[in-house]
Amino acid sequence: MTTKQPATPVSATSTYVFAVCRRLDPAALTDLAGLAEGFPVRGLRFGPLTAVVQHVPAAEFTEEAWQRRLSDRAALEHCARAHHEVVTAVAACGPTAPLALATLYRGDERAREALEADTDRFTAALDRIENHAEWGVKAYLPAAARTPSAPTAPAALLPGGGSAPGGAGRAYLERKRGLHQAREQHHDRALRTAEDIDAALTRLATATRRLRPHSLEMTGEKHRLQVLNATYLMPAERAKRLLDAVEDLRHRTGAEVEVSGPWAPYSFVGEV
Amino acid sequence: MTDIDQRRDAPPTHGPTTSNLADILERVLDKGIVIAGDIKIDLLDIELLTIRLRLFVASVETARKAGIDWWETDPALSSKAARNELRDENRRLRERVEALESAEDGDASSDSSSSRTKDTAGAGT
Repeated sequence: MTTKQPATPVSATSTYVFAVCRRLDPAALTDLAGLAEGFPVRGLRFGPLTAVVQHVPAAEFTEEAWQRRLSDRAALEHCARAHHEVVTAVAACGPTAPLALATLYRGDERAREALEADTDRFTAALDRIENHAEWGVKAYLPAAARTPSAPTAPAALLPGGGSAPGGAGRAYLERKRGLHQAREQHHDRALRTAEDIDAALTRLATATRRLRPHSLEMTGEKHRLQVLNATYLMPAERAKRLLDAVEDLRHRTGAEVEVSGPWAPYSFVGEV
Repeated sequence: MTDIDQRRDAPPTHGPTTSNLADILERVLDKGIVIAGDIKIDLLDIELLTIRLRLFVASVETARKAGIDWWETDPALSSKAARNELRDENRRLRERVEALESAEDGDASSDSSSSRTKDTAGAGT
């Protein structure tokens, strides 16, 4: 790396760790901003492995600073995207275990010491995800129309209106009951669709994780409901099969199915 | 940073095909290997749902629902919510039917006609 060393005393920086990999191509790290301007994102060898790290100004990465950062929309977004950008660049070159956001040490030596203590864990994780990528799959069904055929209130009973005594009210209740049944059926269909899609993709995947589905409030979409939010660890050579299976499931279930990926295997490096 | 969202297209074979912040957050904040650092930042302290809601929710009204699980909030998918809704609705309907049936005696009380002009029960909230 030819990046000039920052002219800050060592004590003023902390070492931020993004990810762990086996070997690093330094070229993969050029032009990455990381979390702090003016500090290069670089490799740090420990035992048989390499960590991807960056010096950051210690004063800006205290616990209090993180609390502020993580509760500020713009700062949180910047930070998550910067972390993700580095992880993604490294993962493009070989098996990469992303670390949780905000893993920080007082300096390179401390980072090396702590990482070395976990070498076995990292090695196991890297073995597991070698030649794999993570793919996210979300499925949506149309949001149940609240009142597809809104039952009207019973008409006022006019003389000769033709309804049997109490008939209008009862008919109204019947219609309401029908609506409730429709809602239950919609609920069942949502669950069944989610399980069908997940089962089909799980058969192709090395491992599966279900994530919390995003509610209507979070997607901001009123017309459709997310019934499945899952993520799959797929061998690289099965990516096409996954996409074909998704296409098939779209036709078979009538659900909208969205795929995102390939991701660095964030969801499959932690404890199983 | 450009924000290209290609989720609806068939993903190419390289690079992350989503820049959807929710997708990134649920991986960057929730996942990855956790090892003890020198500077203790407990991400579990951060209520992810609250953060997400702050990101996606514009109105105060929906923000009040923060922290309630998806299954609980959507009546279409929550039998509990549906049951509660149905129970209330049934109560209102029984009152209304009673009023209507007593009105059939021919001397409709002002009470029942007013109940008839109330807006229909069960209109979505």
